Amino acid sequence: MSRDFLAVELAPADGFEPRWRSPLERALRDAPPGIRDLSRTGKLHVHGDVGAPPGVEVVRVAPDRALVLCAAADVERVRGELGERVVDMSAALAGLEVRGERLMRRLADLDLDALPAAGAVAHVPATVLRDGDAFRIFFPQEYADHVGAVVLDAAAGLA
Amino acid sequence: MSFLLSCPNCGPRDVNEFAYAGEVTSRPAERPSVRELATYVHFRRNVAGVQQEWWFHRFGCETWFRAERDTRTNAVLATEAAHAEPDGQAAPAEAAVPDVPAV
Amino acid sequence: MRLPPSPEERIDRSRTVTFFFEGEPIEAYAGDTIGSALFAAGRRVFSRSFKYHRPRGLLCCSGHCPNCLMQVDGAPSVRVCTAPVREGTRVRSQNVLGSLDRDLLAVVDKVGGPFTPVGFYYRTMIRPRRAWPYYERFLRRVAGLGTIDKHARRSSRFDTEHRRAEVLVIGGGPSGLDAARAAARDGRRVVLVDEGLALDAQLPREDGFETIAPARAIGIYEGGLVPVDAGDVLLRFRAERVVVASGAIEQPLLFPGNDLVGVLLPSAVRRLTRLWSLRPGERAVVITADDRGLAAAEDLRRAGTSVARVVDLRTTQPAQMAARGSHGRVRSVSVDGDSVDCDVLVMSGGSQPAYSLLAQAGARVEYDGTRGIFVPRDLPPHVEAVGSAAGEGARGAAAVPAASYRGTESGGRCFVCICEDVTDKDVKRAIAEGFDSIELAKRYTTVTMGPCQGRLCHLPSIRLYARETRAEEATIGTTTARPPWAPVRLGLLAGRGHEPAKRTSLHHRHKELGAQMMWTGEWRRPHSYGDVAAEVRAVHEGVGVIDVSTLGKLLVSGPDAVSFLERLYPNRFGDLKPGRIRYAVLGTDAGRIMDDGTIGRLSERDFYVTTTSTGAETVLAWFEWWNAVWGYDVSVDNVTGALAALNVAGPRSRALLARLTELDVSPDGFGYLDAREARVAGVPCLLLRIGFVGELGYELHFPSPYAEYLWDTLLERGADAGIRPFGLEPQRILRLEKAHVIVGQDTDSESNALDANMSWLVKFDKDDFVGKWALEHVRERGPRERLVGFEMANGTVPPEGGQIVVDGLPAGRVTSARWSDAVGKAIGLAWVPPALADEDSRIEIRVDGRLEPALVRLRPFFDPDDERLRA
Repeated sequence: MSRDFLAVELAPADGFEPRWRSPLERALRDAPPGIRDLSRTGKLHVHGDVGAPPGVEVVRVAPDRALVLCAAADVERVRGELGERVVDMSAALAGLEVRGERLMRRLADLDLDALPAAGAVAHVPATVLRDGDAFRIFFPQEYADHVGAVVLDAAAGLA
Repeated sequence: MSFLLSCPNCGPRDVNEFAYAGEVTSRPAERPSVRELATYVHFRRNVAGVQQEWWFHRFGCETWFRAERDTRTNAVLATEAAHAEPDGQAAPAEAAVPDVPAV
Repeated sequence: MRLPPSPEERIDRSRTVTFFFEGEPIEAYAGDTIGSALFAAGRRVFSRSFKYHRPRGLLCCSGHCPNCLMQVDGAPSVRVCTAPVREGTRVRSQNVLGSLDRDLLAVVDKVGGPFTPVGFYYRTMIRPRRAWPYYERFLRRVAGLGTIDKHARRSSRFDTEHRRAEVLVIGGGPSGLDAARAAARDGRRVVLVDEGLALDAQLPREDGFETIAPARAIGIYEGGLVPVDAGDVLLRFRAERVVVASGAIEQPLLFPGNDLVGVLLPSAVRRLTRLWSLRPGERAVVITADDRGLAAAEDLRRAGTSVARVVDLRTTQPAQMAARGSHGRVRSVSVDGDSVDCDVLVMSGGSQPAYSLLAQAGARVEYDGTRGIFVPRDLPPHVEAVGSAAGEGARGAAAVPAASYRGTESGGRCFVCICEDVTDKDVKRAIAEGFDSIELAKRYTTVTMGPCQGRLCHLPSIRLYARETRAEEATIGTTTARPPWAPVRLGLLAGRGHEPAKRTSLHHRHKELGAQMMWTGEWRRPHSYGDVAAEVRAVHEGVGVIDVSTLGKLLVSGPDAVSFLERLYPNRFGDLKPGRIRYAVLGTDAGRIMDDGTIGRLSERDFYVTTTSTGAETVLAWFEWWNAVWGYDVSVDNVTGALAALNVAGPRSRALLARLTELDVSPDGFGYLDAREARVAGVPCLLLRIGFVGELGYELHFPSPYAEYLWDTLLERGADAGIRPFGLEPQRILRLEKAHVIVGQDTDSESNALDANMSWLVKFDKDDFVGKWALEHVRERGPRERLVGFEMANGTVPPEGGQIVVDGLPAGRVTSARWSDAVGKAIGLAWVPPALADEDSRIEIRVDGRLEPALVRLRPFFDPDDERLRA
């Protein structure tokens, strides 16, 4: 057996049209500008040595483990290129982007000058990446409503 | 508690990011007597001083490591990624049983 | 009335601000504090004391003492001497019956003395015991610290912000600024926080370091954690180095009448005259042990107050000293019998380093006999003290010859602690009663336990204690310094009230269907959708669907996967064929059951492991832990959230599934305990044919973003088959009918697999597995109790946790019990003594104090031969 049951990007088949829904869709319905849903980003857990195929970002979590981020459409290709010890975590992790150091400091006790890093955000385990003033946060999707609520609330406190 | 622990992968973090799993214990290599088994399973040194401990970076890299901590001051003297001992010296201790009925 | 404008003053006379005191408008200047504005408006009595309701006025003007506590916009116990005026603020007095000037409770001061000695409430209000709530309510009313006004207009939002600094400087006085500048010059990332500098001088905003004010460090904790109260935000600083420049605190003198309105510390004189251009009074006397008092005399003269007498305790050592007043205000002071009229009395008993933050951080505090103060010593690494906090320049009470003075005649209370209204007599009495340790005396007298937290009473009380017990201050030591260093609102510590809850991808669908949600660990799950019996019936007669996405799901892969799992579990997996599933129980080396689940083999080296809903993280950590020791070549991935899971169960589940998939779902093509991969309604699924609820059923595990789609599709396409969602409660009845065990409910931290009737899965012939030795021991010694089913003789459902009684003694316990319509009986699971663990054994269960008979059952209550399950 394969692990196709983890694949997120589906084509309509057998007369069915499966509808994808973001775990953050409801939580971010009234989000202010600057907060974006990144849940459809491709995310892969890789064990062992990790190469970096083109078009991916590699967050090394431990010497023998990494979180690889890529475009949703590239997941299948990247999975193939990364070898055997790869698990598609695209559905496992929700993702969102927030802007501003101040907001991020209200969400996490992380050294914002030492990102990417794995650590607690809104009291749940997360991986955080930084691009200037923008922070991408990936976390277990079952916390989506919670994290969405915390982020919106914290943003409201700074508005 | 608010001391910092230096995760071998993630660096210094608030202790609340980690799960504590007690003293590093020693699992018998051979079938133990009942007394040896009970000692291994139940007895802890519980020192007032420096001890070897297991920690798990629960909110971060999800890696187990060992720390040398002074139980009187919470000063963490050293941390080190766990290395395999296939023949088994160090061993996990009792894990908490989930306290909520689960299906 | 204000003094002529001065360049130093902090008020802006061109801008007025109006606020309300007891409903009356008070006009103030921008730059005033509520305290200075009230003083300017002629108010001298600012509060009534805690116990005796004596009038109290401004004393320190520095936010240290309890004398100006008021309710501000509904918030109790605000020190108005440092609270800036704001337009429209509503200020009220507190702890007063009547008004500040005519407090009816002041009668306590007149008659209460002999009846209200220290600790009186421990002795006088203890009988009758049932009256205590009334006493307590009374005491709270007359000796309170304000009340919380729930309807007041004020911010109720508190946030927490995580901050970092290489160097955190606490205190923005000259030493703090020097330290900040020096560290900034060294290229360090420096933050300076200051609580009150905004008052004394505009805090310079300097390049090179960040300044936060007003902001108050409330403690120094392990790891350089310094929470800083910055109003509505708690700044949780982590600093590599903490520099404490908290300064020194002016100390009072102890003499009768030392709490009268008009008795001031030098800082009050300085601030009143210089910052707010106010004249403290007409005629002053200064009694001082240091230069601060002399400086205050200068300030007074400049403000036009005549200074009638200055007593410098360094040169004059009076034997007697007392202040007298009328209506609570100082009128005269007599020194060695020589009485001088005055309306201002400045007292200065030296200054004591503000060492509390340092002591909290772990510094030792030592008495310096030559200077008469306590100084911090042996600072912990990464913490340093500078300036007067370190004892620099501090001149303490060494020049104060007496711990407390007596007046020429008896009478007049001499306060050691103005927060709690503790007099020198109270302290002496406590010593006489045998409270011979300072920590005990503190708890008994409550000295240092009031709003000032010892700022004004710690040193004097220890000096008095030393004198009375004929001991050295150094041997008495200090009481333990504990956070918070300054009062902090609970809301600030609480922050925002978000609880991390886990929700499945179908959470909102459940809510839409009217499910009652319940907690299982961190998860929210449907208890039922309103009709438990109908939900059970649907599964028995048609088809039901339950959201089991909460199941922990782990992928275990690698060349050593079999060895790894076989060493963790008592089960064997080497003989499990790809596409097959096995029930497994995870144990500890103590032989105890930790978790359970099903393990499916996907390929030679890939296993799909499910855990209990609350167990996923624990099991993952457990796997990783053991492998940190063993070093097997396996990888473990937690795919719990990646996959939603639905259990479609009931006699019609096969037919429904057949409509949605091309997979051969016939009994031969997809048998009991088979695992298959296939598309269901176009979604790739891992299908597991297992049956926790006891009917023909399939678990569908599939990518969670499609959960709502597949759920909707199943309900739609199964509508004609009567499909019905079911919740946890129906599931618990269904599984109980099959006597299926729930780990954590039917087992506890002492249960082992043998006693729980799972010996069939324990493979003792394996070389090693976690728990093997303990289980071998259990096997040798025999079972101590057994987990069995039971049915009640008369249909009463016993409580879970209910006692099994044998010969009048408790001999076991009920772990699960429900009424089953399908069985037509009240059924359950229980731990019983091995002697009773036989089919048809009679047991008795305590229900509401009665003993109810029941029969032991060793086989499932429903479908005992699993014909429906394996159909």
